[in-house]
Amino acid sequence: MLPARQAMLIAYSTGILWLQRNPMSLVFTAISPFSLLFVLFVVSGGQYVHLAVAGSLVMALVGYGLALGQDISFYKTEYKIQDIFVASPVSPLTYMMGLALSELLFGLPALTVLAVLVVYFGGSLLTIPLLISSILLLWGSMSAMGFFISSHMLHMRNATQVISFVNVILAVLPPVFYSVTTLPDSLRYLSYAVPTTHASIMFQATMGLPVPADWSLGFGFAVQVAYLVGFVALAKTKAIWRET
Amino acid sequence: MLAIQAGHVSKVYKGSPYPALSDVSLEAESGQVFTLLGRNGAGKTTFVRICATQLMPTSGTIRVLGLDAVKQARQVRDLISVVPQEGRPLRALTPWDHVYNWLRIRGEGKERAKEKTETMLRRLELWDARTRPAMNLSGGMKQKVLVAMAMAVDAQLLFLDEPTIGLDPVSRRQVWSAIKDWKAQGRSILLTTHYMDEAEVLSDHLVIIDRGKVVAQGTVSDLRKVIPHNTRVDIAKDGLDADALSAYGSVTDTGAGMLRVFAFESAVRELSELAIRRNLSFTVSPVTLDDVFVYLVGKMEVNES
Ligand SMILES: Nc1ncnc2c1ncn2[C@@H]1O[C@H](COP(=O)(O)OP(=O)(O)OP(=O)(O)O)[C@@H](O)[C@H]1O
Ligand SMILES: [Mg+2]
Repeated sequence: MLPARQAMLIAYSTGILWLQRNPMSLVFTAISPFSLLFVLFVVSGGQYVHLAVAGSLVMALVGYGLALGQDISFYKTEYKIQDIFVASPVSPLTYMMGLALSELLFGLPALTVLAVLVVYFGGSLLTIPLLISSILLLWGSMSAMGFFISSHMLHMRNATQVISFVNVILAVLPPVFYSVTTLPDSLRYLSYAVPTTHASIMFQATMGLPVPADWSLGFGFAVQVAYLVGFVALAKTKAIWRET
Repeated sequence: MLAIQAGHVSKVYKGSPYPALSDVSLEAESGQVFTLLGRNGAGKTTFVRICATQLMPTSGTIRVLGLDAVKQARQVRDLISVVPQEGRPLRALTPWDHVYNWLRIRGEGKERAKEKTETMLRRLELWDARTRPAMNLSGGMKQKVLVAMAMAVDAQLLFLDEPTIGLDPVSRRQVWSAIKDWKAQGRSILLTTHYMDEAEVLSDHLVIIDRGKVVAQGTVSDLRKVIPHNTRVDIAKDGLDADALSAYGSVTDTGAGMLRVFAFESAVRELSELAIRRNLSFTVSPVTLDDVFVYLVGKMEVNES
């Protein structure tokens, strides 16, 4: 059977069926990405809204990848569901894809609203393909990262700490909610090593904000694709599937 | 073909000073129920998980259905199905969701998956609860959902790690009957259980492991012969002392106001006469698997280093 089909069925079971039974959970997951956006909007009197939208979009996607990691830890330790999947024809990447799709499903309302805002501020429908590909790229690499990290964390308590730490590293410290140009050179180069920096710049660019002189779309894509490939390769080869 | 062939399998968990399994060599015939017995922590789950490609052995070889469970794990995974120990169904999903979607994920077509789901849910008496989210099911029903998922699958070898834990006596028998049907189709089962009656009813071959080592194996009647005596006489304790009985066989205190004498049939007559004379209630029965288990692995650890 095609892995893609298996992944869809996993997403259907853990995402759509779950939502059918708990529609309220969609409301909660839909609202949370807007909290920082709201604060920044109010504090800056609306001035900061473009950066806040770009940042919120990046942070939401990082959040879905990390939530995937949490779900996977939970399915593994609390439900032993992963044990059932390991001893079956489903491959680890298929399992990961299935759960990542279901995470995306939960995020869909918020992502849609944020994406619509990006297009609205950008003022051009032509930017939609760029926007969607940036979203998918970041979603893919963050999911693979979440899967990889979670498979190495056996204890749930530890998991929560690692996850908030990674969230800070990827969504708070680097120029995700602020412009990379405000950083001194050395820090700017450092932040170029972080995939979320590029995702944020792409969203900012889509909304018509200026991009740094030493940055280009190709560069941004290249770094993000490199992270995607890297994390997927890590997830495929180094994530713990069969325990040792 | 052998369902399982383990050669000198050992497992030392990371950070653990003791091996969970040491030098285990076993052969399970296909088309049979192969049962592992052992105390808590004996290594049953460890062995099952190594065979089911969920855990790597530290050393040794393990072949499952003729395939190398380490190097050919992917091929093995097409042929097996598992009920993990202490698994739980997902809270929001119903028994139907679990079984049907699992069959679909494992490659079954829609119609066939529906049929099989219905058959299995009816069989384990989950049909009336098929649309109830797992969080609203009782503990035993949740366990049955996992059994239903595993047993609905078309696999050659089924791993059942304490599948009937928490089930009522009727439900247990439903699972037993499903296990027998599975076997009747020529398919194999590796079972672990703490219920000796279950082991006795289902097993073609039993292995008792203790602290990671095989201490005995064979059919139920082979294992019965492990105890030198073949009969068990329980006599009410009132006023009797164990020494008075030790002439007839080995005596233990059951802890329930009875003394238990393992004796040869020839001594039974004298023992029963003694009990009647003293007006004590007594029962005579053949040695059970339970007795064998306690005899082999039940020694209390008092002064062991
Ligand atoms: N993940 C693990 N890490 C370290 N040690 C472990 C791990 N899993 C099991 N052990 C140890 O290995 C030994 C065997 O455990 P195992 O789970 O195989 O026992 P079991 O026979 O299935 O017991 P039970 O009847 O209680 O299920 C035990 O001493 C246990 O503490
Ligand atoms: Mg166990």
